[in-house]
Amino acid sequence: MQELGSFLEVLISGLLAGVLYSLVALGFVLIFKASGVFNFAQGAMVLLAGLALVRCLDFLVARGMPFWAAVALGMIFAAAVMAICAFMVERYVLGPLVNQNALTMFMATIGATFVIEGVAQMIFGSDVYPLRLFPTDAWIAGEGVFPGGILINKLDVWGGVIAGLLVVALALFFQHTKTGRALRAVADDHAAAQSVGIPIAWIWFVVWLVAGLVALVAAAIWGTKLGVQFSITFLALKALPVLIIGGFTSVPGAIVGGLIVGAGEKLAEVYLGPFIGGGIEYWFAYVLALAVLMVRPQGLYGEKIIERI
Amino acid sequence: MSDTPQTLLSVENVTLKFGGVTAISGVSFDIRKGEIRAIIGPNGAGKTSMLNCINGFYHPQEGRITYKGETRERMRPHVAASQGIARTFQNVALFRGMTTLDNIMTGRTLKMKANIFWQMLRIGPALKDEIQHREYCEEIIDFLEIEHIRKVPVGRLPYGLQKRVELARALAMQPDLLLLDEPMAGMNLEEKQDMCRFILDVNKTYGTTIALIEHDMGVVMDLSDRVVVLEYGRKIADGTPDEVKSDQKVIDAYLGVPH
Repeated sequence: MQELGSFLEVLISGLLAGVLYSLVALGFVLIFKASGVFNFAQGAMVLLAGLALVRCLDFLVARGMPFWAAVALGMIFAAAVMAICAFMVERYVLGPLVNQNALTMFMATIGATFVIEGVAQMIFGSDVYPLRLFPTDAWIAGEGVFPGGILINKLDVWGGVIAGLLVVALALFFQHTKTGRALRAVADDHAAAQSVGIPIAWIWFVVWLVAGLVALVAAAIWGTKLGVQFSITFLALKALPVLIIGGFTSVPGAIVGGLIVGAGEKLAEVYLGPFIGGGIEYWFAYVLALAVLMVRPQGLYGEKIIERI
Repeated sequence: MSDTPQTLLSVENVTLKFGGVTAISGVSFDIRKGEIRAIIGPNGAGKTSMLNCINGFYHPQEGRITYKGETRERMRPHVAASQGIARTFQNVALFRGMTTLDNIMTGRTLKMKANIFWQMLRIGPALKDEIQHREYCEEIIDFLEIEHIRKVPVGRLPYGLQKRVELARALAMQPDLLLLDEPMAGMNLEEKQDMCRFILDVNKTYGTTIALIEHDMGVVMDLSDRVVVLEYGRKIADGTPDEVKSDQKVIDAYLGVPH
């Protein structure tokens, strides 16, 4: 029973950490689905959203505003910042590149990454800012069944619930709305989409805004966990194996991929680590992605045709 | 149709340049309401560029394009679409990840009015909206005889059918002016005959004005009411198929000397 208990504990904490990877991967999937572009700037957007949120929050709290009101205003402020970011990206980075190939746009997003990171830190500062939006203590569950019970982080549970809600909302948005259909159309063919009356500039603004809001949610949860700091941009690197495993075009793929990576790396660390010297957590996801690439290049849920990238 | 033909679109002295290359120079012609107007000419004559000007992909440096009595400056393609200009492309431009039905439904984008939250839940006005547009699309699917491929992702369809789906998508927009860029390129005889029949039917049933680019002279002469001939970006002839066919300049430039 002790064995099973600790296995479950590792599994659950891994799955819940994986949810956070999923959140970052989701931002990538959204933009990829709607413009066929792998958005290198997603990590930078998480940083920007996090900094905007935490700095606004601190500012308001220091002026004596009650915490809940400061959180609400901070969220609105950060969302507005992401809207401005989406507008600028569309206007100055992607807008001039309509009808260009995906690789050109990918390179443009690399440029955007440095600009967003730089500007975010110039405006909001570059220290480590602690964020306390969610409880960070833990529950002990199932004490009757397992000796000592299972430790579950409350923050991870919050992350799981929020990610779940986001996914449902996004799935409905993509499958049921005309904007969702228009997004998929734009990803396939710019000229044809324009010819049926889809305004590309507006669609790209919408999708970067949605990706920005997903980045904001990711930043709120990761920021609570680690503090808002520059290293949050490296999250983007963890999202890459998640995307390869789940498939670049699939919202459910991003979720399942995140869960697999999260649970996989924790389990590997605990059960494989002692035999090969530990430190597995840092590379396990990439090796797993490599294995998936060999067997199923389009990922678990990806569309068969992905000749882009 | 009324006795005096109404002009739907007129192109006046349009010149289009890409850097130092002049694609179209000083071309004028008009398209009358309800007619089938063909644009022909050798490769590189500026036919596709002309369509691209009409639906707003390109903006000519000189000249005016007047549509429904309004002269426009630098119109965007999606605005052209909202004013009733639909088109198909020389190289099929479909949304390959989607099914035939979804492709055609994108043609209804501009007509869908329900609120985004209703749409997400697919209840209330959104449900009614969706059903209504779906019905219209089904009508077009029946019309073009593509019922059997309704749920097939278009990437898997043979070329001839893809062209037909593209036409269906354009028709779903209920256009006033339909621009067809080589609708029959690469088709076999039977497919061409089908496509001819559809184009004539569209023109008759829906009263849609059609401008088409086509290389098959037999097709052009049979289908069109009037023909404009371009060569090296200039207009060299304009008139009924018979007039154009007997025009010496056209024979020299395009049709070739009869043996």
